Amino acid sequence: MSFEAVLAQARAEGRTLLTEVEAKSLLQEAGVPVAATLLARTREEAQAAADQVGYPVVLKIVSPDIAHKSDVGGVKLNLQDREAVGAAFDEVVANAQRAVPGARITGVAVQHMAPQGTEVIVGMTTDPQFGPVLMFGLGGIMVEVLKDVSFRLVPLEEKDARQMIDEIKGRPVLSGVRGQPPADIEALKQTILKVSEFVQAHPEVKELDLNPVFAYPDGALAVDARIVIGEA
Amino acid sequence: MAVPGHRLDRMFNPKVVAVIGDKGPGYMWLHNNLPIRERGGRLYSVQLDEKEIPGIEALGVQNFTSVLDVPEPIDYALVAVPRQVAPHVLKDLIAAGAAGAGFFTSGFAETGEELGIRLQAQLTEMAREASFNLVGPNCMGLYLPKAGVRFNADAPVTDDGEIGFLSQSGTHGIMFSLVAAANGMYISKCASIGNAIVLDVSDYLEYLMLDDETKVIGMYVEGVKDGRRFFATLKEACRRKPVVVWKGGQTEAGARATMSHTGSLAAPQAVWDGMMRQCGAITTNNLDETVDAMKMLLRAKPPRGDGMALLAQTGGQSVSITDAFAKAGLRVPRFANETYAALGEFFNIVGGSYQNPLDMAGTIQGNMETLDRVLRIVDADPNVDGMAMELSAMFAARQWKAKPETLDATIATLAGHIARSEKPLVVILHPAHEAEYVASIQPKFNAAGVPVFPSFEQAAAAYRRALEFARERAG
Repeated sequence: MSFEAVLAQARAEGRTLLTEVEAKSLLQEAGVPVAATLLARTREEAQAAADQVGYPVVLKIVSPDIAHKSDVGGVKLNLQDREAVGAAFDEVVANAQRAVPGARITGVAVQHMAPQGTEVIVGMTTDPQFGPVLMFGLGGIMVEVLKDVSFRLVPLEEKDARQMIDEIKGRPVLSGVRGQPPADIEALKQTILKVSEFVQAHPEVKELDLNPVFAYPDGALAVDARIVIGEA
Repeated sequence: MAVPGHRLDRMFNPKVVAVIGDKGPGYMWLHNNLPIRERGGRLYSVQLDEKEIPGIEALGVQNFTSVLDVPEPIDYALVAVPRQVAPHVLKDLIAAGAAGAGFFTSGFAETGEELGIRLQAQLTEMAREASFNLVGPNCMGLYLPKAGVRFNADAPVTDDGEIGFLSQSGTHGIMFSLVAAANGMYISKCASIGNAIVLDVSDYLEYLMLDDETKVIGMYVEGVKDGRRFFATLKEACRRKPVVVWKGGQTEAGARATMSHTGSLAAPQAVWDGMMRQCGAITTNNLDETVDAMKMLLRAKPPRGDGMALLAQTGGQSVSITDAFAKAGLRVPRFANETYAALGEFFNIVGGSYQNPLDMAGTIQGNMETLDRVLRIVDADPNVDGMAMELSAMFAARQWKAKPETLDATIATLAGHIARSEKPLVVILHPAHEAEYVASIQPKFNAAGVPVFPSFEQAAAAYRRALEFARERAG
């Protein structure tokens, strides 16, 4: 679906939060590396989708009424085959209905479970004075507790993306510690620049989070994506 | 010099200036602006109050009771009338075709009162509609040393201005101008921008970046109205000349204070910092850092690297200068073998050292030829990107006072080195127990163009800022 079509559908449904599947498909189109994710409405669709994205897979509930998917038992990890996918589909739907009675369930996102990499975050918020601002940081405790993040205004140039990676305090982690291979800085830089381009092209986007992005020795992959659009 | 065709050009290069609503007994604004007449301009007064007129005329200034009676087109007016009168004065200024005006008048939106907010909205609407260049209100207006337009009676009148300065605080604008001048650096054009209801930071910045007279730009800013425009303008300005940005309200408590000062909305500090680096601006935290950064930019060669040669007079200071520069993130490398060999030929190592840092008073012994020789040898070292040298008031002030020619010779030696070297030199002269004397000799260093700092830490921080600027510029 095009950006305009996704936007129209979200607005028609009174949503400002895009679904994970919508967000990922838009970002993929924009050249941001994201883990392949498909929307399944039925058990069978989920199994077919799993075959398509490749095992192991992750299932996540998709509902406009549920923001924190794992809190309601709406996430199942590391599913190895069709059978496990089918059972997990039933379970996450049941869990969601039990936790949030009456929740509208759009379906289940079926995602290839990417191998663990070094977790980083690429985010975007809209500053009331300066407009779209990009954020970069290491994932997990580094961003939550230590606020070890860097900011730049959109649009970014190549040197801005490089500097925002280089200036976080946890930068040595990306060079490889305790025998880990270094992360692909070029791929992170390109991810940041693609997000900048995407945001610049679509001023309707008010918030965006790629959390986490897995940084690998070769490449990077956003495994979760969240996009908030402005009201029409 | 001027920027032909720019909307602020006439106001920034005024020949005809009017002071509106000045009051005795001090007549501050007329006194500030009397030098306009020595600079070939005309100064007029507008004042209705009959009680005030004799005092104005006693200053030799022609007074009119209406802006519309001033016999020449006004290039710049300073307005110091009560706030209720301000809209009437603005109306007359617009009708008279004045190029612009600074409104010293305060009591507008910054008060949070309904009347103040309403009057400010009225001024904004009138000025915008007429595209009138309204500076402020709630500000000290312009300081244009070449034209003799001043916002303070101690501010120098000079043709030597190199620094364009913008300030959201009148006090900071004045104080920066005075402290910079005490350090031998002068303002080309300065604007105290106050509530910035019509002209905002970006408007002035755009002019200063185009103004040939302005070699470097500085600003004290608490917040901006149009963030996107500021971002774009600052980025462009930094491509053309160094811009030093002193941000007020960096802490949460400070940010709250800016709200009541100029009503500025503060962006999160981390976002601001990211934007500064993105633009290539040099950031500072206070007045001294701002003055120091300017001194480095104007009086030292641009640093090409972080390898420092440190020249101290004595052993304890050689340790302290090293700590200061290392803490600022600069390196103190080993000298090349040729340097050791050359210094070893004459260096007195009893009570001294020619490792980096140098401990050299025992070798120099007041001999300027020896100092010059040391400077030349160290300068030629490929590991050295820049030099910092201590002068000691504690040891030397007695002799400098008794024989001023020894101080002159020292300064001449340093100035000679600066003229021939491609590498930056910073000089540190701590006032020690001779604060008054050291202040009295500052003009000699200023005149010779030798950048002197009062502490190792200040010199190191200024060097570091200039280095980062040079690196950003190189990409």
